[in-house]
Amino acid sequence: MTNPMTSGSPPPPGASEVERVVRIEGLVKRYGASEVVAGVSFEVRRGELFGLLGTNGAGKTTTVEILQGLRPSTAGRVEVLGLDPAVAGDRLRRRIGSQLQDAALPARMRVSEALRLFASLHPDPRPMGELVEEWNLGRLLRRPFAGLSGGERQRLFVALALVGRPEVVFLDELTQNLDPGARRQTWEVVRQVRERGTTVVLVTHDVEEAERLCDRVVVMHHGRVVADGTPEAIVAALGGVATVRFTDAEIDAHRLRELPGVRTVQRHGPEVHVVGDGPVLAHVGAHLVAAGRPPLDLHIDRPTLEDRFVALTEETSP
Amino acid sequence: MTITMTSGSAPPGAPAHPGSGPLRTALRITALELRLLLREPTVVVGLVAFPAVTVLILAGVFGSAPDPEFGGVRPTEHYVVGYMGVVLAQMGLVTLPAHIASHRELGVLRRYRASGVGAGTLVASEAAVGAVLGIGGALVVLIVGGAIYGLPAPDDPLMVIGWLLAGLACFVAIGLALGSLMPSSRAANAFGNLVFIPMFLLGGGGPPRDVMTGPMQSISDALPLSHVIGGLRMSWLGATDDPQALWWPAVVAVVAVALAVRSARRRVA
Repeated sequence: MTNPMTSGSPPPPGASEVERVVRIEGLVKRYGASEVVAGVSFEVRRGELFGLLGTNGAGKTTTVEILQGLRPSTAGRVEVLGLDPAVAGDRLRRRIGSQLQDAALPARMRVSEALRLFASLHPDPRPMGELVEEWNLGRLLRRPFAGLSGGERQRLFVALALVGRPEVVFLDELTQNLDPGARRQTWEVVRQVRERGTTVVLVTHDVEEAERLCDRVVVMHHGRVVADGTPEAIVAALGGVATVRFTDAEIDAHRLRELPGVRTVQRHGPEVHVVGDGPVLAHVGAHLVAAGRPPLDLHIDRPTLEDRFVALTEETSP
Repeated sequence: MTITMTSGSAPPGAPAHPGSGPLRTALRITALELRLLLREPTVVVGLVAFPAVTVLILAGVFGSAPDPEFGGVRPTEHYVVGYMGVVLAQMGLVTLPAHIASHRELGVLRRYRASGVGAGTLVASEAAVGAVLGIGGALVVLIVGGAIYGLPAPDDPLMVIGWLLAGLACFVAIGLALGSLMPSSRAANAFGNLVFIPMFLLGGGGPPRDVMTGPMQSISDALPLSHVIGGLRMSWLGATDDPQALWWPAVVAVVAVALAVRSARRRVA
């Protein structure tokens, strides 16, 4: 591919072509009259922990399946590690790792058999002991696939995705079915995977997961890209407004409104909500201390990626 | 990026490593799949116990004296030899389609494909699984039936092998086609049994052709199993009243392979 491709967030100055491991331009996928991916463009840079975020049915899984050559596209251009997935097929798939959302192993296949079989497909697989330790599979080795819990299956699938030392790994709804503790452990291991140099493409509908893990996020809704950038940049696009909350039934609201950055002051019974931008917390706190009324419950609520995500999906819904 | 994570990545265009060629991969998957199938009680019962018990009962019912209604051969030999074909039909109509449909339904095939296992490699390994199960089941029938009732040496051993291979090709191809066409393992099981039972009864596993009514004989003559069993009986025992046109199972195999390929392409698109 010779023409430079565009995306919602262009690479920083000096970023070379080889740093882009995934490039999509104008990707379309139709099933009859239904358009599930409608002109999607974005790119993923080498070493990134990239998030593809969207509600169920947004077209995320279809997009990554096309990236892996598991599904043909209707239109558009796709490149992964410099190869067209539709043409390179198995040659590409041996260089990438994949944890699919809807996949399974034969019910009676044991964990150790799965690890050995999938390791045998690669020229330089990671040692089985290393993967077993990393993904806490030691006590499961003789367990058949059908006897694994949802979380244990996910751990096994990620281990299988990483067994071939992939350059890019696609993780689709990775922490689905995991309890909160296992979810956080999994996030930590995903960070380690990225730190070792593997580019990670994380497909998720979990906003907290995307916000905590990803360097950059593309938000998809109804088959289109509706936001592309770092989680902080996407949140900032909401306006960066924060709300300071504290309890004081007798505070003079007029004085609060005159503080720098304050937009509105609202009372909810004894609770006061001061909405503003910039260092509004510092100004409100300083004012309350100076007035001799330091509250015991001074809080600040800043907009999160979830707020922005909800706003985006509402804005772009038909 | 650390060297350890990238050292294993083959450069674009590089061939697969020597241990991961399509043939070796197919053999590894076949060996593992067979081991997994042997852990399935339903497979062992359906493919080994059912034909072995049925052949013992049917052969015992009709006795061991040469009978003109069985083409002049002993009924025991008629059934023991013919049941090699029944085992192949059971494999191709029920066991293999249910196995493939289950793999596709659960996402096992997608899991293999996502790891760079080619579609051809998967088809070859499933075909090999069917072939090993068919040959294994046929051997069980021969060993069990031969041990109980006795069997003469094959009249034409090469033709026996030829008909066995023709039957294998026909029913493995049917198994691949049904496995790719059926939406689920339950559907594959239900449809497979619906086809297998009449084919088993009219295609050489039930009453001899000579005692059937005219319409039933016509149906029997159209079944590929009748020809496979007829060919096996003719080449082993030297006499049979069953049809034995080698081209018919071959045509069925070709049509079944074409259907399997078409169905697989439609599913990918």
